[in-house]
Amino acid sequence: MKYGMLKRAAGTLLAAALVLGSLTGCSGKGNESASNGNTKASDENGAEGDGKEQAKGRFLEEDVTLPIVFGNIFDMKKLEDGTIRIIGINGDNGTKTVWDSKDLGANWEKAFDAPKEIQDEGNGYVDYAALSFDGQSVWVYNQIGDGGITHVLYLVDQEGNGSVIPFELPAAEGEAFSTDNPIENLIMRIGFLGSEQLLIKDMTGKIFQISVVDGSVKQTYDFSDAEDAHEIYVVGNKILIATSSEILIYDGETGEQQQTEEALQKSVAESGRFDAVDTIDAGEGMYYLTSGGLYHYKFGGTVMEQLIDGTMNSLGAPAFYPIALTMLDEENLLVAANDINSSSPGGIALLKYTWSAETSAKPDKELRVYSLYDNREMRQSISHFQKEHTDVYVNYQAAMTEENGVTVSDALKTLTTEIMAGKGPDLIILDGMPVETYIEKGILKDLSSVFADSGNYFENILNAYQDSQGQICAVPARFLIPAAQGGSTYYTPGEDFDTFTSKQGVLEKMIPEVTIEKFWYSCGASWQKEDKTLDVEKITEFLTKLKNAFGEYDNSTEDDNVTKSMSEGEIVNELKKVSLSYGDLDLAFGRYKVNVGLLGRLDYGMMNAVNEKLENGDYGLMPGQVENVFVPSMILGISSKAAQPELAEEMVAYLFSKEAQKVSQSGGFPVEKEAFKSVIDGHEYETNMDGLVGVAGGANPDERLDYALIPTPEEAINKLTSLVESLTVPALEDDVIKDAVVTQGAKVLKGEITPEEATDAIMQKVNIYLAE
Amino acid sequence: MHRKRKGTRISENCGKFKKWQGFLWILPSFFGALVFYLLPYADVVRRSFLGAVDNRFVGLVNYRIILDNTAFLLAVKNTVRFTLICIPILIVLALVCAVVLYQSKYGGMIKSAFLMPMALPAVSVALVWRLLFHSQGLLNNWLEHLGLLGKDWMNTPSAFWILVVSYIWKNLGYDIVLWMAGLAGISENIYEAARVDGAGEWKCFLNITLPNLKPSFYTITVLSFLNSFKVFREAYLVAGDYPHESIYMMQHLFNNWFRNFSFDKMAAAAVIESLILLGLILLLQKAWDSGVE
Repeated sequence: MKYGMLKRAAGTLLAAALVLGSLTGCSGKGNESASNGNTKASDENGAEGDGKEQAKGRFLEEDVTLPIVFGNIFDMKKLEDGTIRIIGINGDNGTKTVWDSKDLGANWEKAFDAPKEIQDEGNGYVDYAALSFDGQSVWVYNQIGDGGITHVLYLVDQEGNGSVIPFELPAAEGEAFSTDNPIENLIMRIGFLGSEQLLIKDMTGKIFQISVVDGSVKQTYDFSDAEDAHEIYVVGNKILIATSSEILIYDGETGEQQQTEEALQKSVAESGRFDAVDTIDAGEGMYYLTSGGLYHYKFGGTVMEQLIDGTMNSLGAPAFYPIALTMLDEENLLVAANDINSSSPGGIALLKYTWSAETSAKPDKELRVYSLYDNREMRQSISHFQKEHTDVYVNYQAAMTEENGVTVSDALKTLTTEIMAGKGPDLIILDGMPVETYIEKGILKDLSSVFADSGNYFENILNAYQDSQGQICAVPARFLIPAAQGGSTYYTPGEDFDTFTSKQGVLEKMIPEVTIEKFWYSCGASWQKEDKTLDVEKITEFLTKLKNAFGEYDNSTEDDNVTKSMSEGEIVNELKKVSLSYGDLDLAFGRYKVNVGLLGRLDYGMMNAVNEKLENGDYGLMPGQVENVFVPSMILGISSKAAQPELAEEMVAYLFSKEAQKVSQSGGFPVEKEAFKSVIDGHEYETNMDGLVGVAGGANPDERLDYALIPTPEEAINKLTSLVESLTVPALEDDVIKDAVVTQGAKVLKGEITPEEATDAIMQKVNIYLAE
Repeated sequence: MHRKRKGTRISENCGKFKKWQGFLWILPSFFGALVFYLLPYADVVRRSFLGAVDNRFVGLVNYRIILDNTAFLLAVKNTVRFTLICIPILIVLALVCAVVLYQSKYGGMIKSAFLMPMALPAVSVALVWRLLFHSQGLLNNWLEHLGLLGKDWMNTPSAFWILVVSYIWKNLGYDIVLWMAGLAGISENIYEAARVDGAGEWKCFLNITLPNLKPSFYTITVLSFLNSFKVFREAYLVAGDYPHESIYMMQHLFNNWFRNFSFDKMAAAAVIESLILLGLILLLQKAWDSGVE
């Protein structure tokens, strides 16, 4: 009996434990977010203890006004006497110049211009220069002569007096050169090691350590048999060489390789390779910049410390390329960078980061932004927005990355779950999502109040998703134009789809899937009937006519295209594949009769050069079953369940400001008219007094297209502007229908099935989808 | 007397406790079922009368919408068709295999081999499917060698039969094990008595084996039915959200509705489906109960 009582008691306890266990498993404690890495030293403040008191301390970013418009900055250093020195090129007149600041960057005065030998642009050019900590500088002057290019190293002392360093770069071994352009070797990087030696990297990745006094080679670091040396950095007396896979450390005096710093290797593997490096303790430790932010590493240590989180400022912006990092002290630093989207004219920016002990480590407010695909314009805009709103942290999540392999369907299901659980994003970039369905279901908030004070927008684009009651629940911040380019034999701007596709083989040698996708944009919008079902006859007509224009399929051309993509050594993203510019060289060199695709940026020089290669070449709208189509891009919507709806509206308003609209990362034309003009007018070439030309290489080695880098003529600006103003029909944006059409349509172009069979297969899939 | 009264009260209390202690023991399980099944189900029923996102009361509108929805009707038709074809074939085939294996001395070993498909991850099965049935897959390659014309198997009505075969292949071993367990429960004495009375193998099977397997039949039918829903995984992995219309199942529809925030339609369809399932299971149970009596 006693034993039975014990058994019952044990059973009851066990059951109670199970019930309690299951309940604790549902608690929400696991959702607390991890602390951010933006504090100088989070333990200094130690305020995170109970979670109520927020940790304080963060580096804040501010622009430093440069004294002149720099066309380029080669180097920036804090000299031994505390002066900040910059060497660069004056963007207005091309002078190579040296500027000093005695008050940590607040005011600047010209120290001197580089000696006249370096200024001679008639016989050569400077592409690299570096500073030492005692104020000397070395300039690589590439002298162009009859025998090719020879490198002359000019050492310029603290007062601006120049002398030639007697160093002759050895000819590169095993490199093949063109007879038209005899170059024996090239200097690819240069930097000081102390004040009496230089490190020079050549085009084969070999590094020479030479004396500035007599040019004698002290050491040679050869990596050509193993891996390329990508960058050289000097930290105190250590030479850091970043190869394709690791960071090698050498003793600058002996040239001996030192022990691998495991923690440094690991941190670089996690946070990316350095962009710039500096030290303030004679090389005991180093500060370095990556796209992830600013990091500090103590040699021999076991951890890397993140001091600035790049996602909260310009450091993480996609078009931000640091040139030099100068640590003023532990709490202040300067970063010179190439940032085409900065407010600085010429795209060279100088930023100062200052430690603010009173600012909370992580901003008080969090705005969650979501997109399926990574959006570079958004990333760029976020860094600007955060600079102006230091109390806001914009948490941007792109669901589909190359690493995670998530499908669109899985990503959308996760998004649905998060939104319905009240943990979803505030602002959604709706590209690739079922926009109409979201609007219909009430997922998106009306944005019309954001645009109440009407700006100077292309209203035809802005109102793409406006409903009959005037509500705007989704709004495209950018757009692309389905366009075509060709000679008059094959293409006349303004011609209709029937006329264009009646020319048999006019689209030959194109990739079937990509061709269908391009014409989907210019035709798909005409297929949807009023009851939202698709017009079977129009789809059959589309496929039949396109097959005629495509002609016979030759699968060897597809192999050529693959070879071309592989040789470019890059992953071709979806937008790039369908862009007009992707086929311009094929058109120029006769592989394509006509080039079609989406136009999202105007590279006037290139387009003009291609037109000149053709007989009466011109561009215009892509012929389609419906006229005047545009493709909405960067479509913005605010979740009706947003936690920060006002902040999200503020962000949308910012994204439509001139400043944000001018950000150009090839994601489409701006909707704001002034920004539109600014991104197509080629103003960045106004200072191109040297007549620099762009060079594009085709798939074959002998295919070379030179084009002028000049501002876009007014006539060309007006043509494109009036083309944009004529656009009235947003393209049908539905990935389910598009995928079905592309899959089956490609089979038609390849001759595997008839247009009727393809239409049946498309309708079978699409009918279920539409019925849902 | 006093003592006797006290004793009676104690025994009365004990009786009451004994009467309720059964409920106490099932309380944890009931609590789990309540939290994880009954309350969510009640919420689904509630949502079937509300709007998708705004939670506005809409009455029976959602039910009316789904009953007019051709995608829903197609999914129901395919699911019913799949179930009606697969389950009888699976149960009979598994029974035949089980009887043969039960009589074989290597039955135990072969039984384990039949269970192998269950151990294979759905992703691996899907990959093999793709390899076999793609328009440029192995099957078409073999057919080409034989001088026959191949086709895009997964985009034709053949997809349905591929799904049927896949389901049977995967679940056959499991059902065989269940039938064999049922066969093991039948006493050998009954067979011996029947054989003494002159009954042959067929008569023994009809009059002894089959009636004694009735309890197993109920369990196997319900489990096979529930397992039939899992075939969606392979279909989804091979053909995605929108497969050929012949294999567009209820789960495809729910999956796509969820993605598009159609919680209203999902809830209404789930309520209808659960009622049908409950009805079928009750019918089956009733048939089983009458069989046992």
